[in-house]
Amino acid sequence: MLLIRPLSQGDLDDLHGMTEKAGKGLTSLPPNRDLLSRKIARSEATFQEKCEPEAGFYMFALEDSAQKKCVGVSGIEARVGLDEVWYNYRLSTTVNASRELGVHVKTPTLHLTNDMTDTSEICSLLLADTHRQGGNGLLLSRARFLFMADFRQLFSEKVFAEMRGESDSEGRSPLWDALGRRFFDMDFSEADFLSGMGNKSFIAELMPKYPIYLPLLPESAREVVGQVHENTRPALKMLQAEGFNFNGLVDIFDAGPVVEAFIHNIRAVRESFKRHVLVSRQPVNMDVPPEERVMISNRSFRDFRVTTIPASCIKPDTVSIPAEVAEALQVSSGDLVRLSPLKDAAGTRKPARS
Amino acid sequence: MWIVRPARHEDLAGIEKLATGHGARVSTLPQSRDKLSEKIDHSIRSLAGDPSLADRQRFLFVLEDSDTGTIHGTAGIDARAGNGQPFYNYRRDELIHASHELDVSKTAAVLYPTHELTGKTLLCSFTIDASLRKTEAFELLSRARLLFIDRHREQFSDMLVVEIQGMQTEEGNAPFWDSLGRHFFHMDFATADYYSGVKSKTFIAELMPPHPIYVTLLSEAAQNAIGEPHDAAARTCQLLEREGFRTGKHIDIFDGGPVLEATTDALNTITSRRYKTVRRGEGSRGLRYIVANGDSEGFRCALTNVSDGLGDVVRVNNEVADALQVVEGDDLVLVAL
Repeated sequence: MLLIRPLSQGDLDDLHGMTEKAGKGLTSLPPNRDLLSRKIARSEATFQEKCEPEAGFYMFALEDSAQKKCVGVSGIEARVGLDEVWYNYRLSTTVNASRELGVHVKTPTLHLTNDMTDTSEICSLLLADTHRQGGNGLLLSRARFLFMADFRQLFSEKVFAEMRGESDSEGRSPLWDALGRRFFDMDFSEADFLSGMGNKSFIAELMPKYPIYLPLLPESAREVVGQVHENTRPALKMLQAEGFNFNGLVDIFDAGPVVEAFIHNIRAVRESFKRHVLVSRQPVNMDVPPEERVMISNRSFRDFRVTTIPASCIKPDTVSIPAEVAEALQVSSGDLVRLSPLKDAAGTRKPARS
Repeated sequence: MWIVRPARHEDLAGIEKLATGHGARVSTLPQSRDKLSEKIDHSIRSLAGDPSLADRQRFLFVLEDSDTGTIHGTAGIDARAGNGQPFYNYRRDELIHASHELDVSKTAAVLYPTHELTGKTLLCSFTIDASLRKTEAFELLSRARLLFIDRHREQFSDMLVVEIQGMQTEEGNAPFWDSLGRHFFHMDFATADYYSGVKSKTFIAELMPPHPIYVTLLSEAAQNAIGEPHDAAARTCQLLEREGFRTGKHIDIFDGGPVLEATTDALNTITSRRYKTVRRGEGSRGLRYIVANGDSEGFRCALTNVSDGLGDVVRVNNEVADALQVVEGDDLVLVAL
């Protein structure tokens, strides 16, 4: 069984192992034990309500109960930009026109902003290679929305995600080379690493503050603005299907897009519903394809848990689950749980736009 | 004899020939007969003290060979740069990007769009026959304007500015323009240059980028062109520097050429000029001087040899006195060449 639960210090070895394999590009989770341990500690303090809700940082583990192993993580930052300064470029348009000369010129321009300040961010998604199948990625990412559905007051109305931008196989970013590098003698990978270590706003302090006219940058840099890295395309498609849209902001280092959605519009939240649990002794065939499964959350704050069960378990007034699922979720008959399809019910999902 | 005097309508054909001449353009003369005619007219009215032109006076002088009556150069003064409209430049500046935590400090060069030179007195429209570039006529033409400014000081500002033609390729492209202005104006340098001569400057306000420009984002050729004069302007720069002009922080928005600036009252010509009373005579002895009469509309300036003594009187030979249209007892201003 695959189970979502809060991440704990006991997962440190598994997490460190995954970050080492992930390589460059995963800015928020660098393979550094101290840093990862600090992140876990922050998350534990949040679940134990030892910090203000605005300072909350939630990290969830995907546990393979057969292997007793953490095989994935995902996170939510309750608010960004309250402690440090949160920077993005806004991709906007400058128009200069002269009626007399019949000239009308649209110039795409990057404006440095702090527009995402005080907004909730979904972040730090990492799934072990061995488990990239059967809807595990969906569960890992979307379980967060079930958490948000039940604890909406802890988050901002809008939630966003920064998508990794384009870089080549050596980890060089065309935008960084054309822009950031000219103001800061540092390779993208180093800047990216420092940024993961929590030095992002220091670096941002060295970046240009005035708007950047894109026509002044080389084509290689212009064409990656707002584009995601090849490896991030599936994650982008997943978020788009969830109702997230590009909001016009891009990362200041690699120009990857920021996508956002209102929590009440997120599909996993919109399509979710509550049922009372009925623990059943009757055997259930758990081995059904992702299209026929639903996520089920125990709605607990301190020990939030989510797993998936066959959609056939849902009855008009109750949801009937086997004992081992009830045990994993730490629920018993009569408890109110939240359910939401793991994938589009009949596999009728519209093809995502490429 | 070389004479510098105010432009007249009859000079139009001669001026037009200079304005449309071949080779690198080192002037701001419009390449349009109508506009040139307007410019001459504006100058005549300014000299006549037309009250409707208060603070918008523009003067145009010509270099005439008094033996043949032909025009060989022009030099202008705009009493107030912009002539009632904003006068655009970039100001070169630097920003320090530093982080104490990361132990980094880096300087970023920035160009700020500005019109802070609006209203300063602008020396402009300087053109001279290529063959005269190395002669004393060149100096006469350029410095005559300064004597005029001195004579009518209250009409001009305390600061003088001159835009010097910037770097261009042999094909007439400007690297600075190609890397910057072209993206915003959607036209080549020659077209923009043409428009800036014949159109009102409104189009510059409408099309130029409103935010500061980071120099590091420009092409290398463009960066090298910032504040660099065109080779053909070398003599002009030398002469102006001798007068006390210095390269300031401003550059031209089209080709990146430097804007030279000076304090009006500190100019070499103005601090060393002397006013004397004319005594006409025969022959000429002494050193080379630029001499000018005191008129406005009848302003005349020429070169001659003068023995400048301690007295208030200076002896000028009859031929020069005639050219300057001065009689015995008139005022004269003179300054050493």
